[in-house]
Amino acid sequence: MRERLSFYIQRHSPIHRLNPFTKLTLAFALVLISFFSPWYWTALCLILLVIFPLAIIGRVGREFFAAALRLLVPVTGFIFLMQSLFLPGGETVLFRFWFLRVTLESVARAFLISMRIFGMVSSFILFLLTTHPSELMTDLTRRGLPGTVAYVIISTLQILPQMQAKAQTIIAAQRSRGLAVEGSFIRRVRALVPLVGPLVFGSLVEVEERAIAIEARAFSATGPKTSYREIDDTPFDRTVRWLMVALVVLSLAARFFG
Amino acid sequence: MNIEVEDLHFSYPGGVEALRGITLRIEGGELVAMVGQNGSGKTTLVKHFNGLLQPSRGCVRVGDWDTRTVSVARLASRVGYVFQNPDDQLFCKTVAEEVAFGPRNLGYAPEKVEQLVRRALAWTGLTGREGTNPYDLSPTWRKMVALAAVLSMDTPVVIFDEPTTGQDWQSVARMARVIAMLREEGKTVITITHDMDFCAENFTRVIALGGGQVLLDGPADEVLGEAEILAQTFVEPPQLVRLARRLGWKETPLTIPVFLDACRRSVRKEDGADGAERRFDT
Repeated sequence: MRERLSFYIQRHSPIHRLNPFTKLTLAFALVLISFFSPWYWTALCLILLVIFPLAIIGRVGREFFAAALRLLVPVTGFIFLMQSLFLPGGETVLFRFWFLRVTLESVARAFLISMRIFGMVSSFILFLLTTHPSELMTDLTRRGLPGTVAYVIISTLQILPQMQAKAQTIIAAQRSRGLAVEGSFIRRVRALVPLVGPLVFGSLVEVEERAIAIEARAFSATGPKTSYREIDDTPFDRTVRWLMVALVVLSLAARFFG
Repeated sequence: MNIEVEDLHFSYPGGVEALRGITLRIEGGELVAMVGQNGSGKTTLVKHFNGLLQPSRGCVRVGDWDTRTVSVARLASRVGYVFQNPDDQLFCKTVAEEVAFGPRNLGYAPEKVEQLVRRALAWTGLTGREGTNPYDLSPTWRKMVALAAVLSMDTPVVIFDEPTTGQDWQSVARMARVIAMLREEGKTVITITHDMDFCAENFTRVIALGGGQVLLDGPADEVLGEAEILAQTFVEPPQLVRLARRLGWKETPLTIPVFLDACRRSVRKEDGADGAERRFDT
């Protein structure tokens, strides 16, 4: 079928079994620690010693490294290059090139920034790979997230692939009526009108139908709701979460008092 | 205009093999119904007729055009395709503009466009609603607008995808009239349908697909009589045929007049038999 928007990969692993909120806390904590910690190598160590092993324990190693290679390496590489070239200041000049002056200090800063970004994005990739969006939303709703917010997030994830499919059908229908979608720029822009119209109308109609459908399932009912999904929250989960909070506080403290 | 399909194979990206070696020929002016369960390959097959899908193997020719070498927009001058959901294509402010979109794309002169539009609106019962916004019409009538929008292109081949789903009796009767008119003009009509009664009453040739292959292909009364093979692709013969089978007839009546004729004949035969018996008794 069509590509899903969710990154989630169904596997059985200790990471998959963790409570979604624990994984969310973990992802945020890793990011905060790598930004707060005064120690220069924190971000790199977290990537190598925490995120990579977790990806392998979570049995999503292949997908994780594929995403990292395709998305993260180019992006962080670009950031590293730009920052090394343009960060001002520094004494130890490594080399000069045209009007650019690359110093050891700017390279060091650039490395730190790109490692932090790498760590931030990869920890969230890991989170998304191992957490089903509905499970996360169910868990967060149970913890007090308003149902409407959860719905907005979930429905966005679901609607986009649907709209993509609908757009494909509309394009096919209009091409069958002799609409040329190839050709000059002007021609392509003009070809958009017959495509956008049905897509927008159709989406508005669908929104109304969705609203009726979820209302028929007592969406706006007040009072406690039960969930079909059972999500475990073990003492281990709680321990991990508090540990993460403690580590974040510790790294913050180290920055200010260390 | 002929459509020739030669050893057509097609796999969707992701590996689902939807068509597994289809060879058939549809002559100009034939009325063909494609039947078969969901996923049997009906839509996939007809989407090859106007180039929306390209064969993974084999080829499809429409007249002298190989669909692999001609763009969809150009094939649209030979093959009209009415999609199942009218809302996937309606975008103009008025019915008349909507119906004129296709022939204008094909580059017809304004007078010819106007004439084609008028004819298409008359066929679909939309005359008098030229200025209406298609979205102010009921879904039933929107479907008629989508139909008119393809009829106005005056293509030698017209494809309908599920024309009767969700339509009331009047609308189905209107569809049947449109098909009869197309037949009179010598156009080829190809329809995907799950409505076996509609299929029996309006089409002369039936192709039953199952698992991406042709299970049956022949005159409607032959194909629709093959209950066992049709069952493989979850198609039930039309109700008149089922009734005829229950009565133990050999005929496969597809329309009410034919059924009534057969009925009279069998009653007469029974009368005759009764008479003979009575004579025997006395």
